[in-house]
Amino acid sequence: MDINLDHIAKLAKLRLTEAEKELLGRQLPSIVEYVAKLQEVDTSGIDPKAYLTDATNVFRSDEPTTVQAERDAAVAAFPKSAGDALEVPGIFK
Amino acid sequence: MAELLTVKAIRDAVAAGTVTAEEVTKNCLARIDAEDPRIGAFLEVFHTRALEKARDIDVMKARGDELPRLAGVPVAIKDNMLLAGEKVSSGSKILQDYTSAYTATVVARLEAAGAIIIGRTNMDEFAMGSSSETSAFQKTHNPWDTTRIPGGSSGGSAAAVAAGFVAASLGSDTGGSIRQPASMCGVVGMKPTYGRVSRYGIIALASSLDQVGPFTHTVQDAMLIMEIIEGRDEHDATSVELEDKPVAELLEPSMQGLRVGVPKEYFIDGMDPEVRARVLEAIEVFKQNGAKIIDISLPLSPYALPTYYIIQPAEASSNLARYDGLRYGTRAPGALEDSYLTARSEGFGLEVKRRIMLGAFILSAGYYDAFYKKAVAVRNALRKEFDEAFKQVDVILSPTVPGTAWKLGEKFDDPIAMYLADVFTTPANIAGLPGISVPCGFANDLPVGLQLQAKPFNEMTMYTAAAAYQAVTDWHTKVPQA
Repeated sequence: MDINLDHIAKLAKLRLTEAEKELLGRQLPSIVEYVAKLQEVDTSGIDPKAYLTDATNVFRSDEPTTVQAERDAAVAAFPKSAGDALEVPGIFK
Repeated sequence: MAELLTVKAIRDAVAAGTVTAEEVTKNCLARIDAEDPRIGAFLEVFHTRALEKARDIDVMKARGDELPRLAGVPVAIKDNMLLAGEKVSSGSKILQDYTSAYTATVVARLEAAGAIIIGRTNMDEFAMGSSSETSAFQKTHNPWDTTRIPGGSSGGSAAAVAAGFVAASLGSDTGGSIRQPASMCGVVGMKPTYGRVSRYGIIALASSLDQVGPFTHTVQDAMLIMEIIEGRDEHDATSVELEDKPVAELLEPSMQGLRVGVPKEYFIDGMDPEVRARVLEAIEVFKQNGAKIIDISLPLSPYALPTYYIIQPAEASSNLARYDGLRYGTRAPGALEDSYLTARSEGFGLEVKRRIMLGAFILSAGYYDAFYKKAVAVRNALRKEFDEAFKQVDVILSPTVPGTAWKLGEKFDDPIAMYLADVFTTPANIAGLPGISVPCGFANDLPVGLQLQAKPFNEMTMYTAAAAYQAVTDWHTKVPQA
């Protein structure tokens, strides 16, 4: 199994060290080979539902219910902020 | 060192006034302070908060108020459960300075029931692991042999009960992370049916698999915790309004006429022969006490673990996308992309990176159908196979783990060997069934667990059978000697 580590790392937003690349380059193919065992199972006629429960959508009215303490704590947990404004790195160069 | 301490005994003693909640909590804190340096179960103990809450209970008692169901019972929580104002890290460096902004429903319900939240316990980073060794902070030692792992990922919560620090703790189980460490630490550990317990405020690993459940010494204690935490929560759309809500005091343990299915696929070549022997002895106990033992076959069982190692990393890689250094944790310098890469590459440990990479690969263009979609189809087929089996049997009995606790460091560099420890526990997560691990003896002086699985939302049958086993055996009363 050929796994393009650089491509996958880019998708996963990870910067791998050379040592990690060497290790994962050995381990990921053997894990993928192990899980590929599933190809042996005949699943024709099976409905592939992502959730197994019979739960259906439950609707409620879309009303804001801000809890001030939680809001303040969430802002406080943000790594960089000025008052109520949350600071993020620039998207454009 | 430890003597058997139950939720029920503490609850009844506080209610009767033979002991105060403050005394109970002080004793609990003293045990942890004295002995946890040897075990490493806790990442943090909430000394001040716990004593304040305990005194509140004593004030209620003094006023003559009716006490809530778990008044004065210390409970430990896994480090992936939010408690407003307290730190929570999911065992990861990327969240090491994060403080919860709100409280998880399960924790809020425990506190409302008078339980004393005593501290947060060590775990594998983001619950990815089977030995608790991937924690960014510390190793946890098995109280039965401190050179060995406690199992994982909820190893700290299992060890805290086994060591006698608390009578109950909460863990989360995505592929066995409650039942597997319960088995290895010689305590009861239960994973409820998917949807029975709210996941609101639990740091997600894989959202279609995660469930919260208790560690205790007895099945009755597990029920006492479950009846508080379970049931519909408007904050978790997958939580279910329960039709049957078992009450611990009303349970009538019995094996008479119970149809116990024993699947041959759970007695594999290469499992520890001593573990096999203990489980066969347990089957004999069921037989002697009126159960009907039925040999069954679940041919898809061997595919549960590979299915799990597709669905879980796929969901995990999506869930962990939120750790980008912008919202939580440490902001890395540089422009946006650079800041993401630095925060994630420095914040996550190797096992987490391995699973994020695996998940990103499985979900990537060209592989999605072959892996993810196939796994979802096998998952549905597995559930159907269980549905068929439960037409013939009431519970499915098996070992919880193919072996016992291994030495610290032993399997750390071999991911597949580590993953195989969950081979008997992942089916319940994949199929959404309830499962419980109950102590059933020792193999080479290490605890062995017996797993019972039941039909979805049929916890009552599982409790009845498991409690009946405990009524005629005393394995759960054994405690490790210091």
